[in-house]
Amino acid sequence: MELFLQQVLNGLMIGSTYAVVALGFSLVFSVMRVVNMAHPEFFMAGAFGAFLASRYVTNNFFGVLAGGMLVAAAVGLVVERLAIRPVRGRYVMIPFIATSGVGITLQHLAERVFGSDPVAIPAVVRPASYALGPLSVTRMQLVTFAVAAVIMVGLRYYVRHTKWGRATRAVAERPEVAAAFGVDVNFVSRLTIGISALMAGAAGVTLGVLYTSAWAFMGLLYGLKSFVCMLVAGNRHIEGVMAIGLLLGVLEALVSGYVTSTLRDAVAFGVLVVVLVFKPNGLFGSYSV
Amino acid sequence: MNPLLRVKDLDVTYGAVPAVNRIALEVPAGEIRAILGANGAGKTSTIKAILGLVKARGTIELEGRSIHGVPTHRIHQLGVAWVPEGRQLFSTLTVHENLEMGAFVRGNGLRFASRVDEMFALFPRLRERRSQLAGSLSGGEQQMLAIARALISQPRLLIMDEPSLGLAPKVVQSLFEQIREINARGLSILMVEQNARQALKIAHYAYLFEVGRLAAEGPSVALMASEDVQRVYLGG
Repeated sequence: MELFLQQVLNGLMIGSTYAVVALGFSLVFSVMRVVNMAHPEFFMAGAFGAFLASRYVTNNFFGVLAGGMLVAAAVGLVVERLAIRPVRGRYVMIPFIATSGVGITLQHLAERVFGSDPVAIPAVVRPASYALGPLSVTRMQLVTFAVAAVIMVGLRYYVRHTKWGRATRAVAERPEVAAAFGVDVNFVSRLTIGISALMAGAAGVTLGVLYTSAWAFMGLLYGLKSFVCMLVAGNRHIEGVMAIGLLLGVLEALVSGYVTSTLRDAVAFGVLVVVLVFKPNGLFGSYSV
Repeated sequence: MNPLLRVKDLDVTYGAVPAVNRIALEVPAGEIRAILGANGAGKTSTIKAILGLVKARGTIELEGRSIHGVPTHRIHQLGVAWVPEGRQLFSTLTVHENLEMGAFVRGNGLRFASRVDEMFALFPRLRERRSQLAGSLSGGEQQMLAIARALISQPRLLIMDEPSLGLAPKVVQSLFEQIREINARGLSILMVEQNARQALKIAHYAYLFEVGRLAAEGPSVALMASEDVQRVYLGG
């Protein structure tokens, strides 16, 4: 029982970051009908931003977090300009391939600049661990979860209760009509890409600090799993995407704990196959292309 | 004096297919003008061209100033509101949120609250349904919301595309009475309708479209009396 609860706890901590990255994927798809294959590189950019900030600027966690998010957002706006804006509204495979190309370029650019081995990120959060009854949790795990939780609550508030969040939902459903009521659809698109990059960047910072490293290809598997979370949940409801992200983290932790950790990375894809057979639009429904 | 809306020599083509050919029409301030015609006559394309939603060639002017090539969201800011064909509400937003989207540009706060009240006075059913999702309304209620969403921005020109589509005859009757009332308060309206008989009853002037061309135009009274129009459009 203790192992079970401990693994559930560990899983929730990691799952929260899957959820945050997956939310960005699904937000961008629902607003622009673009599968942004460069999205995982925002996550990678966040981790390298954290590396740079901790090395050259500050040892304060919040400073490092802000630095990583800013680097990710800058990369996000460049990707929007280069690979999304010129091909928006075209057949869905065209932005898919364009953003894939930019994503691969970003990975190799990072490899050129930072080398092919991971770079070390110092412990900007003082190492400590806490006992919760028989369970234990590290301080950095808690920070990771807290950052993700703040982002999820904040995003939900933004989408549900603010003027621009409402406009974002309107654009997701009917871009032409939203435009005819005065919404600058291009601005909403850039805003959405920027927000998705900020969120993925924050996840990259926390995971980079948690695992004390950043690596040019860290976005690959991580991003793919987050993409799977979006497909499994469907992109219509952000709460669904959040839940599936958390659930994937838990499932992976349980498989690691009870079966073998070598199977951990297969969990997401196994779940995807099963879900797509029975619910091709995801568990909670999707916007179509 | 310039008319509120003037369209001249309008061409819209989709690929190589011409949808609208040399159309000219005007909406003087204070009038209801109708565009009548069968499916595929180019009515909706004309409206989308005015709103900047499709590429077009020709002249499109609002009070003498060209709005051709102006982005759609700016055209709305100049006082043009749209009731799209088939309502096209934001179905995943509530009734109240749809009204907030209607007022996206013209602010919120107290003036917004009082304009929401005005809309609820005009369409009392919407008040009861205000926190329901727009997608869950009946057809008639959806049309009320589509009109309220457009009116709440206090536009100068209201463009309505097939407002009677899919509504029961009784609902259509009261809807057209409401449109006439809205116009009587000073709002200019350009309306596309397949229901020519109803539209001619409230419009001051109408244009008959036939496969992308202007086939006839004139004051409603004259059109209703014309034998050709009777035969082709009014089934008489």
